[in-house]
Order: sequence, then C-alpha cells, then structure tokens
Amino acid sequence: MNLSGILVMAKPEWQAQVVEALNALEGVEVHQVDAATGRIVAVQEASDIHAEIEGVKRIKAVPHVIMAEMVYHYLAEDERIYEAMPPELIEQQDGFETCAVPAYLNS
Amino acid sequence: MGLSRRDFLKTSVAGATAATVGMPLSKQAEAAVKAGEAGWQWDKGVCRFCGTGCGIMVATKGGRIVATKGDPDAPVNKGLNCVKGYFNGKINYGQDRLTQPLLRMTDGKFDKKGKFVPVTWEQALDIMEEKMRWAMKEKGPTGISIFGSGQYTIHEGYTAAKLMKAGFRSNNLDPNARHCMASAVVGFMQTFGIDEPQGNYDDIEHTDTAVLWGANMAEMHPILWSRITDRRLTHSKMKVVNLSTYGNMSSDIADLEIIFSPSGDLAIQNYIAREIVKRDAVDHDFVKKHTQFATGPYDIGYGFRPKNADKFASAAEMEVVKNEQKHVIDQWEAVAQRKKEGDVVEQKNAATPMKDWAISFDDFKAALEPYTLDFTAAVAKGDPDEPMDAFKAKLQQLADLYCEKGRKIVSYWTMGFNQHQRGTWVNEQAYMNHLLTGRQCKPGDGAFSLTGQPSACGTAREVGTFAHRLPADMVVMNPKHRAIAEKIWKLPAGTINPQMGSHFVKIMRDLEDGQILFSWTQVNNPWQNTANVNHWIKGAREMNNFIVVADAYPGVSAKVADLILPAAMINEKWGAYGNAERRTQVWRQQILPPGQARADIWMMLELSKRFKLKDVWGAQKIPGLEGGLPDVLPAAQAMGYTPESTLYEVLFATPENKKVKWPDPIAKGHGNHVADLLKDGWFPEKALFEEYRQFGSGHAHDLAPFDVYHDDKVRGLRWPVVEKDGKWVETPWRNNEKYDPYVKKGSGFDFYGNNGAALVMGDLDKPGDPAKKVDISGKAKIYFRPYASPVEKPDANYDLWLCTGRVLEHWHSGTMTRRVPELHRAVPNAVCWINQKDADSRGLKRNDLVWVESRRGKVKVRLETGGRNRVPRGLVYVPWFDEGVLINKVTLDTTCPLSKETDYKKCSVKIYKA
Repeated sequence: MNLSGILVMAKPEWQAQVVEALNALEGVEVHQVDAATGRIVAVQEASDIHAEIEGVKRIKAVPHVIMAEMVYHYLAEDERIYEAMPPELIEQQDGFETCAVPAYLNS
Repeated sequence: MGLSRRDFLKTSVAGATAATVGMPLSKQAEAAVKAGEAGWQWDKGVCRFCGTGCGIMVATKGGRIVATKGDPDAPVNKGLNCVKGYFNGKINYGQDRLTQPLLRMTDGKFDKKGKFVPVTWEQALDIMEEKMRWAMKEKGPTGISIFGSGQYTIHEGYTAAKLMKAGFRSNNLDPNARHCMASAVVGFMQTFGIDEPQGNYDDIEHTDTAVLWGANMAEMHPILWSRITDRRLTHSKMKVVNLSTYGNMSSDIADLEIIFSPSGDLAIQNYIAREIVKRDAVDHDFVKKHTQFATGPYDIGYGFRPKNADKFASAAEMEVVKNEQKHVIDQWEAVAQRKKEGDVVEQKNAATPMKDWAISFDDFKAALEPYTLDFTAAVAKGDPDEPMDAFKAKLQQLADLYCEKGRKIVSYWTMGFNQHQRGTWVNEQAYMNHLLTGRQCKPGDGAFSLTGQPSACGTAREVGTFAHRLPADMVVMNPKHRAIAEKIWKLPAGTINPQMGSHFVKIMRDLEDGQILFSWTQVNNPWQNTANVNHWIKGAREMNNFIVVADAYPGVSAKVADLILPAAMINEKWGAYGNAERRTQVWRQQILPPGQARADIWMMLELSKRFKLKDVWGAQKIPGLEGGLPDVLPAAQAMGYTPESTLYEVLFATPENKKVKWPDPIAKGHGNHVADLLKDGWFPEKALFEEYRQFGSGHAHDLAPFDVYHDDKVRGLRWPVVEKDGKWVETPWRNNEKYDPYVKKGSGFDFYGNNGAALVMGDLDKPGDPAKKVDISGKAKIYFRPYASPVEKPDANYDLWLCTGRVLEHWHSGTMTRRVPELHRAVPNAVCWINQKDADSRGLKRNDLVWVESRRGKVKVRLETGGRNRVPRGLVYVPWFDEGVLINKVTLDTTCPLSKETDYKKCSVKIYKA
C-alpha cells in the first residue's frame, strides 16, 4: 500500500467543483480544504506503485487544478517493489553485509 | 472511533501534509499524526538532487530512514517536494548498494584485465598508494587527477582541494560541475569580477516577468516552477516566456513560447539589445554610473584538442575538427560578425579566448546594428513549420517586455545557455540586457543563473574544486591568491602549483594520451556524463593507468574502473550544500552507511596518512612550467614540520583542527562514522568548515560559524553572512546598497568585484594603446558578443540536430533514482523524441527501435512522437540518465573555449531503423 499526501491548488471560485472531481477519482480522498487560499489536501492510495505517480498526473489534469505536488509519502514496505527493476540492478540479492560483486560488473 | 489501520494511516498522512504546508489541523488529525509517528526522530536535511536546495525533514527509527517530507520552515520550498525530492529517503536502500571495495584481480593479484573481487579497505588503500606513487614517479604531480563533483559536500570538496593542491601540488582536480555551470562562472567573473547570482528565489514573488532561456524549469526545477506558477496565477501583470529549441512542459503556462534554432539565442539577445537602444529604453543613469562597455576576440575556436587531434580522432570526427582549424564564415556569421561569406578565419585566439577590452557606447551600438528583426528571425527561427511572420511577432513581443518601463524581469537559464559552444558569451548577453535597462540586483529584477547540482555553488565554485581555482574566487595562477592560501593552509611559500590543471574533458584526453596515469572519481559518473565517451572508455580500459571510482551504486564509471570504493550517501554522513541563491545548508548524519561503505572524506583522510612531506614537497617537474616546482622541504622544516610528517598531520589533523573535538553537543545524539573510524578525537567536518571560512571572511564571501547553520531554527543562510550586533545576518541581494554591507555607502549599486581592475580602450576589432586604461572599479561590464554558428551542423548525411538533457523523474546518470522503484517505473528507459513528420519521412513510427548515429558513435533507442516534449522538425531529444542508452557515445566534445564546458545541446545525427 502506498499513500501520498498531495497538495492541490485551485482558484477559490472553482474549489468546490475541484473537490468533487478529486473525490470521484479512484483511490483519492479529500481530507482538508482551505477556502481562503484555495488549498486542498488529498490523500491518494495506490494499490500498484506505478499508479502513485500516474495518479498525480491524473490529478494535475483535473480541470481548474492549478498545481498538484506530492508533499508527504508513507514509505510502505512492499516485497514486490523490485519486480520491475532492470535485472542488471538487482542481480545480487545477498543483502548489504555480504555484498558480493554485482554480476554485470564482471560481464 | 473504530478506524481501520488504513483509515488511520490516511488521516495521519493528510494531517502531516496539511501541517507541512502550514494548514491548520483538526484535533483528530493532530492526534493521528502523533500516533503515526511514534518513535520517529525528525531532523532537518537538504534534498540530494538539483540546485534548488529544498529543505527536507528526515525521520529515522531504528537506524533506518522511515519517512521524509518537505520542510514547512524552509523558505525555498515551503513544505513542497517534487517527485525526486519526495523519494529522498529511498535512494539509500537500493538492493545493489556497493558495500565493499572491489578490485580487478587475477589469481589474487591486481590485474587490469581481471575480474572484480572484494578486498579489504587496507588492500584498497595499499593499491591506491602504490599506483599514485608510480604515477607521480613517472609524470610528477600532473600524473594524478581527481574527477570531483557539484554534489560534493562542502567538507568533501574542501578536503579534496587541499589534498590535491596543498598536498600533492597537483591542480588536476575538476568537478562534473565543469559540464554544468562553468560558462555561468566565467560569465560572472568576466562581467562582475565575483561569482554567483546577486539575486535570490524571492525575486519570483517580486517580479512581473520570468523569461526562461534554455531552462525547462517545469521538469528540472519543479519547486521553483511551482512558485512561478503561483505568481503567474495571482499577479495579473505576470508574464512567462519560454525560449527553447523544442516545446516542453514549461510552455504549458507560458504566455509566449519561442522555439529557436541551436545557437539562435546569441542573435535574439543582440536583437533585444538593439531594440532597447533603438527605443531608448536604456537606463542611462545606471549604465553611466555602474557599467563599462566591452568586447573581445571572435576567433576563439571550439575547444577541441589543441594539438595532435588527428592522432586520436577518426576521419569522420576530423571533418568537424577541421571546421575549427580553418573556420569558414557562413552567411549568418558574415552579417553578424561584419565579415564576408566564405572567408576562412584561423582561430588565432583559441588559446587566449578570455582577452577583452573596453569599447565606447557608439561602437557597442554599431555592433548591434546587423541584428535587425529580419536577420534575427531568419537565423533564429527554430521550427521550420512556423510561419516567419508569427515568429517575428513573438520576437517583437519579447523585445516589448524588455523595453517596457517599470516592468520587472527575471531571466532564468540553466544548461541551454551553459552547455553551449559560446556559453560564456550567451551568459554575458543576458547580463547585457539586464544591465542596459538597470534591471540587476533589485528585488524582482535580475539575470539569474540557476544551477543543476545541489552544491555546484556551495562546493564546486565557492570551495573551488576546479583546475584553476582556490577558495573564495581565488585562482592558482595569481601569486597573491597563492600566498593567501599558503598562509591560511600554513604551507611554505611556493608549495602551490601556479600552473592551471587539466579541466574535466582534458583529464579524459590526458588519460587517453597517457599524460595522466592515476584518476580518482568522487560523487559523479564521468564515463556516463562526458561527451564522446567511446574515446574515454577506451582510454580507461586500454591504457596503462589506474582508475579508482568511489560510488554508492555500480554505474558505468564503476564498470570501467580498476578499483571501486563503496561510498556513503547523503544522510549517512555530516554534510553541507550551497544552492543557487547562495544559501548554505547543513545536515547531520542520520543513519550509518551500509556494510563497509564510507564517506569520501574518510577515504581521503586515510589516504593522506600514507604520504609524507618528503614524498611530495621536494622539487617537482611540471610540463610547461620552467624550473618546475621548488623544493619547499627546508622551508617546511623551518616552520616546524619534518620530512617524515604525513599529509594527514600537516593538512588535516593539525593542532588547531584537533582542538575541535568529537563528540560535540551540536550533534544532539547523532553519530559521525568518520570521526569514530579516525579514532583521534577530532570532528573533521566542523574543523575543516571553520578553517575554510577563513578564506571568505572579510572578502564578501563570509560564512557563519558551523554551529549557526546547525541551529534548529536556521534553514540555511545566504552569503555573505556578516555578524552584526551579535547576530549572523545574510545578504538577500548583493551589490545593492540596501541589502549588501559590502556596497560603498552612497553608491546605490556597487560592483565591487571589479575593484582595482582596468581595461585597455579599443574598438570593435582590437584593443588600442595598452598604456590607455579605463578603471572599472565598482562597475560591471556590458559585453558585445556576436552570433557564431555551431561547429557541427546537420548536413545531407547527418541530417538532424541532437539535443540531450534530463527528465523530471531522474537525477543525472540515474545511479540513485533508478534504484527508487517508483521513479524507475515512471520513466524506465530513455526514449528519443522526434517530430511526427521526421518519423513519417523515414518510414518510422512511435516505439520503433532505432539507431541514433553521429560521426562519433551510435546508440539504440525507442522513438517517441508524443508525450511531454514537442520537438520541431529537424531536431531530436534524448535524455542521458539511462546507461542502457549511453547517448554520450553520440554527443560532440566541443566546449566553450572560455569556460571549457561541453556543448551537449547540439550536434548532428542520423536516425534509422535498428
């Protein structure tokens, strides 16, 4: 599970509409709204890690969103995290203390 | 309440986010944050990546980093993070961290052709010592070299500079920052006599206009970009202009997007100046009081090997080099430089490109005259599919902004200007237009050079880890500067080598031709980041030399090394960075480096224990330096040293430095693995920082004491930081009397960097009577610099421009960011952006695997016709982060002749199906 705290900004006159649009996005919940400054705090849950970044792009694309940046990241432990890493980067899995020679260095 | 774990975490993340950006918290959220962070220890830190210098809060628990967040108290980012900054806590935990020294060996012995085998630190230092002694015996001090970094901590850079320059008496130390902002440095030094921007990021909230010249801030400086976006949306007068050779994400909120041809920026700047003069938008009072017009030679070459180029370059490569040796004036240069098309110009000033002289305002005006709208549009239009009238209208609108009285303007640039065959010139042209209109050193007004790396300013430039520099803007070629450094460093007179060392590309060339036999890489990836890299890989692997690479992960450079040293990363050591607005920021060690990994500073200090004064301070031969370096051992003995004293004792663990004790209460319980391993009770980072401060104090480069930066309330300070009434006060805008204590009272503005300097008066073509000099004390120079065509241009065979650069998600060569799964997945591989029409006309489509080939090499890459970059017909863009698409095999190693910075933004390639 990956959770990100995202600051979204919208002009105050569009804020309600943006909040509604954000809540309609899968995995996104609006938690706090500051009407005076147009700032919105959304939390995004991404089941697939790749979706986390895609999700922010999706939020940026919501009409009337001026800005959306990830502010806070919950560093979830996830064993599947490395499955899409290029093989040359994960060839040695021995852990830190017994670091052997990464195979691709000797290829 | 019955909150599920997931709901609880979400409330906690929302609360932490709101708190970070300064939004009021509900009681429930506050409690959730507290509970969620139980047992975490938060401390202030700095982002590891770009030159923006965002503040990052780092949380540790049980010896691991468990969370990071934007620092709400940091004035740079006010709690925000970009996507790279957001993952700072993960870069330490890649699965393939290097944790043991690795040496190429066969049958238990070093063998250049052998395989990597884990060795102990003792063995690693033994072989380094042996190979350094061999290199210095064969070649003297110039036989060794260090590739340094703009990502060095201040302490590391200072240690490297002192070890090389004071200890080994070699100036062959040059940082990757040479590739990144050397042109900015020479622009500053030539114009103002002092390095680094006068303004700061607060200019954004004061300005009416942001003009981007070759800086895709939306991707490369996203946090500053969010501040510009905010200003654009909240200040009705605000305009944003994006000048680039291709459309990019920064164009999305731009009011004006100008796509220009490679090197067309040189003409556009002169067109703006011509309009400013013609429409009399000149701030005559400012210009008269504070500036001097100047120019220099045009025949300065393109930075190829000055001798024996044909010995190393292929016949295809020589086609380009020949255009330097005998440069044929093209139709544009004929107008721009007042010459005849077809004339052959020998580049007589290739070795003396820095020459300059004063000119009159009338001469300056005359030089601008050819840069009419028609001429400029013809030479600079970058999109062949854009109608000429539309392009002209845009240029006029741009000039209108600069000519509008009362409009505040900030110009920003990064690699588009700096990585440029005329990089120094184009930097100076930016100052030209700001100085002409009196728009410099004022809140909201200024030409501002952004930096790419986190401590390009703080370390590479301020400490001076360049082949020619000493700390605080001093240079090894200047006898007065050497004397100052020798005094602070307690060295006998004559210790420091007065001859400039090899710059970054020249170190590569010296390895290739056998002049340098030992090379040590620290905090960067030279065999991925240097242009025309096929030559340099061969130079490292096939010549009889010894290549040491210290790194955290095995990148391309580690692969070509003979010895790999496992390096500690940020947060595993004490450190300090200096950002682009002169802000020095610090952090404590938060966690221990994994396995046997160690801070670079420890590696250097340990190595320094192995060399004695008698090894290095005797008479030394230096190629090209008559008489060589003197024997300073007798003088050293008179100072109380002995020939048996080690460099460690003389340079680092000095009696003064050993008074700075570890442990120190400023650590607040944080460790220091360097001090712990040295076991002699001193605090190297603090002691060396205090010693380093002596260089700048009282000379307009003042820094506060170490402990001041480590105060919990301080979020970095912008130098000069001067003590006033017991407080350390920073300088937000330099050279402006209102803000800068170094400005002469009553002057308003004072460019004191040029105090004592003088120029010979001349005309546009040459300097005049050397006896007639103009004093430029307190003044900045306004240079006329002409348009010059790129040395390699697309032709029938290599028919496309290639531009290279970065992407938002990755940092430089990707050794860190590609270990963060989220970032790797977001942009796993480099692609080649191409215009749809160029793809069509070659029978290619999106996702096709193609070869990108130049006269120097080729790489295989997938084509992209959509996405974030919109390249015009005739130009392709390939990012360089991906070692699987080693685009620097293709790029051209031409440099700005003044700054020696490589132009990665323009060379010719062809593309065909793989």
